[in-house]
Amino acid sequence: MRMSRLSYEKKKGLYGYGFIALWFVGALMFFIIPVCKSFYYSFNNVQPETGYLLKSWAGLANYKRAFMTDPTFRQYLVEALKDMALNLPIIIIFSMFVAIIINQKFRGRTFARAVFFLPVIIATGPVYAIITGNLETNGNNSAEQFSTMFETDMVDQLLEFIGIYGFGTQFTEMLSEITSDILNLVWKCGIQIIIFLSALQGIPTSAKEAAAIEGATSWEFFWKITLPYVSPMILVNIVYTVIDAFTDPTNQVMTRVLEVQSDWQYGYSAAMAWSYFGIILIALGIIFAIMNKLVWYDD
Amino acid sequence: MASALRSSGFLKKPEKKIKEPKMSRKERKERFQKRLESLTPEEQRYLKRKRVIDAVWPIFRALIVFGLCFIILYPLIFMISCAFRPRAEMNDPTIMWIPKTFTMSNIKDAIRAMDFWNTLGNTLVLNIGCSILQVLTCAITGYGFARFKFKGKSILFFVVIMMILVPSQIILIPQYMFFRYFNPFGIYHAATGNYINLINTAVTMYFPALTANGIRAGLFIFLFRQSFRGLPKELEDAAYLDGCSPLRTFIQVMVPNAGSTFLTVFLLSIVWYWNDYYVSTSFFTDNRTIALMLKNLDANLTRIIFDNGNVQVNVRELIVWMESGCLISILPMLILYICLQKNFTEGIARSGLTGM
Repeated sequence: MRMSRLSYEKKKGLYGYGFIALWFVGALMFFIIPVCKSFYYSFNNVQPETGYLLKSWAGLANYKRAFMTDPTFRQYLVEALKDMALNLPIIIIFSMFVAIIINQKFRGRTFARAVFFLPVIIATGPVYAIITGNLETNGNNSAEQFSTMFETDMVDQLLEFIGIYGFGTQFTEMLSEITSDILNLVWKCGIQIIIFLSALQGIPTSAKEAAAIEGATSWEFFWKITLPYVSPMILVNIVYTVIDAFTDPTNQVMTRVLEVQSDWQYGYSAAMAWSYFGIILIALGIIFAIMNKLVWYDD
Repeated sequence: MASALRSSGFLKKPEKKIKEPKMSRKERKERFQKRLESLTPEEQRYLKRKRVIDAVWPIFRALIVFGLCFIILYPLIFMISCAFRPRAEMNDPTIMWIPKTFTMSNIKDAIRAMDFWNTLGNTLVLNIGCSILQVLTCAITGYGFARFKFKGKSILFFVVIMMILVPSQIILIPQYMFFRYFNPFGIYHAATGNYINLINTAVTMYFPALTANGIRAGLFIFLFRQSFRGLPKELEDAAYLDGCSPLRTFIQVMVPNAGSTFLTVFLLSIVWYWNDYYVSTSFFTDNRTIALMLKNLDANLTRIIFDNGNVQVNVRELIVWMESGCLISILPMLILYICLQKNFTEGIARSGLTGM
């Protein structure tokens, strides 16, 4: 009896290989081998010839060139990382805020949801780039209209009114940067909102009822119930946001990589792409290590 | 605290059934006051605050929702507004949204420049073909990862995760070389001395889709795995006990139960193939897909519509044609989205993303 059970398990395992075989063949051809090759290229000088790529070992020369001599790469890299560090918390907070709002019951909720997820449909295509470009050409860029309030000294004056001096300029600049980017921001949040929404719907009713019976205010409810239950998804969303910004072809670093690539310097472009990827992975690792302690799992 | 409130009859909904002699407003107010006095100050404060928040929050919320919806819809409104206005009115500062005269000529020009109907047919065939292949193969793979135990599973699943993380730019060149000098089973070149050039053939799109490696396949495998893992195990055990093979179990028991995930992934796949121009510009430039034609619309307009040299179009005026092109190219997706909006939103939310 026991023997046959074992063999059944084994047989099932073999079926498992069968189920993933097709994917594995594809992944080998289209993913694993290309990734390894590209990593190998990054240590070589690569010359395209008919039928193959002529490679000569260069060691770390490509990486050195990217960080030491390339006029723009380092600058773009720092800018991209700074952008990400600034945008990441905003995107996370904003999408959580929106998710909480559209999780509530109100009239027109279906419409609001449809509108908030609309960017998922459009933002990945060429349409978005054209639209934003045109808006800028036309001069009535929404962002500018929205941010005029902050570009004047209003925030500054407000702060001075409250009694904070000298702190305003920098703060105003940051605020105006954020608000002038609000269109981009809102358009980047579609998937994150969906993920948070699904997490919010996963909060068990028992927890909600318990909080209601104990007389929790909605403020307390957010910190004590919503946030812990949603916290694993914050991590997921951080990863998604970082990766999304990173793989975006309009990203400046990526543009530079592609520019070099179309210049036939495959080894060099591979080195740039890999160092960028490495930095992103390290950043994600740090975020993961910090967040993992704060995340609460419902087990 | 609320339990105390409940026992004192405060949180109960107004009971309609009880027949009381009709009270005047004043009487009711007095009664309310009496009840309020019976509560502790803390409870009173709680109720007061709750009443204020309940009254103010909906207004506040409506404002926020309206504002954000407007920001999101702004480019679309701008698109529609521009697409139907004659180009001269682009320079008219008095026109903000509604043009003085409506014209269809921009749309017609854009349709001509993009060779729209042929392009649309071509895109739809490619899209639907690739998406169906991709959904099927990703579902099979996802099921393999969800329900079977085998050696090396965690490493292989790590590869799936890496497929989500690694940007396609990194592996572009090796992939290009693979398609350009295609060498089936490694013996074709040895046997004939030639390579097969697959660049600019539809194979570059169908082949990855067939092997669950199409556009964003890693994410789809992940979604399927999550959703299959969420289904009760008893379903399959019953089938196995009845002597059903795993493949048949998958087709007859699991697939029907994961219908919503299939639809969601299919829709997402359609959308992403529709919007893709990165992969197709790399391997399949001759292909006429909507995204590619839209990307080249600028050049095509100059070549086809303004070809006689007399027409001078400035940047601002060009917008009307560009926006028309955008409008007609996202219209099919918009219609699809409006029809299946519930499946898009609820489907993703319930496809088991949270069951990590």
